[in-house]
Amino acid sequence: MTSETKRQWLMALVRDGFGKSFWWFFAFALGMGVVCYQLLGPQAFHEAVRADLGLLADMLPRVIAALTVAGMVWVLLPRDRMSRLIGKESGFWGLVIATAAGIITPGGPASAYPLLAVIGGAGADRGALVAYITSWAILGIQRILIWDVPLMGVEFSLTRFLISLPLPILAGLIARRLPLSLSLMEEVRPDPVGSISRPPANTETHQK
Amino acid sequence: MISVGMLIIFGAPVVLGGYALSRQDGSFRQGLVRAVEQFVKLVPRMFCALVAAGFVAKLIPSEFISRFLGDEAGVTAIVIGSLAGLLIPSGPVVAFSIAATFAKAGAANAALVAFITAWTLFAVHRVVIFEIPLLGFSFLRLRLLSVILLPFLAGLMTIGVKQALAWVAVS
Repeated sequence: MTSETKRQWLMALVRDGFGKSFWWFFAFALGMGVVCYQLLGPQAFHEAVRADLGLLADMLPRVIAALTVAGMVWVLLPRDRMSRLIGKESGFWGLVIATAAGIITPGGPASAYPLLAVIGGAGADRGALVAYITSWAILGIQRILIWDVPLMGVEFSLTRFLISLPLPILAGLIARRLPLSLSLMEEVRPDPVGSISRPPANTETHQK
Repeated sequence: MISVGMLIIFGAPVVLGGYALSRQDGSFRQGLVRAVEQFVKLVPRMFCALVAAGFVAKLIPSEFISRFLGDEAGVTAIVIGSLAGLLIPSGPVVAFSIAATFAKAGAANAALVAFITAWTLFAVHRVVIFEIPLLGFSFLRLRLLSVILLPFLAGLMTIGVKQALAWVAVS
């Protein structure tokens, strides 16, 4: 990589990180802070800030680990085999596999969403994508063990788990039937690596 | 204390990274570049969203909401539970402590199931921090329309199971 393309890459990174939407977020956080300060007083405000910073410090190492995993999976994943498992022709079993994968995916949204982007790029169909992320959200075993069970009790957690078991598959079936076009995010910027071309974005138009 | 979850989360990048390195074809570097790109894309937003979510969580009147979630409210409790789940722009710490508040105030199981399901599916912070930057709006739209009924369905099924169990116990 020449120093020129490296510079361009860094500039694109900064633009990505601190683009327009970042400043919207920033303004929203500021606004909420003012509302909180006004309505609940300085003590609640300080409490909230302290809790947030603690949470962030707690999350950063996990986010770094999760993104490293997603990056490596993106490079290493055998795409042809993936798309056979959960691609357009995978049918009902594709949804079942996606649901099972969602249940066992460890970690928070920092691992699940980058992985979702990876399997989307590898040719997973819309039903499998929706089933995967739905399953991770409502059935993710790690969250159930860490949060549901201690706070809500075993009986409640088990009931909720069993009742929700068919729901990701249902969501996947609905997603396959919805007459909506789907084009996944395409990363448009100079390719910093160059040697191996990026996989094409999974641009799928409605076909059923 | 080292839990199994922590072991997986921090062991997986080491194992995968080691494997990518051992292939010696630039995979490791490519994977790392992608990780850095996503990190820069996500973390500044994450910082703001987390701070905002902390304030919003303080402002949610959970004691007030819990009055409408009792067993006698039936289907209404499910609807209110689902809507309350939409409001929580924050991670499991806040969501589950609110759920515990509801439970202590006598909320029905069906309403709690609807609340947790709605929160896990629609958590706003997750949508804005991860889903929109990484997948885009068209995926968000597809997903929301696909799952919009699931919290109600989960709540109704909880009532159904409870009644079935009561029926079995009687007969």
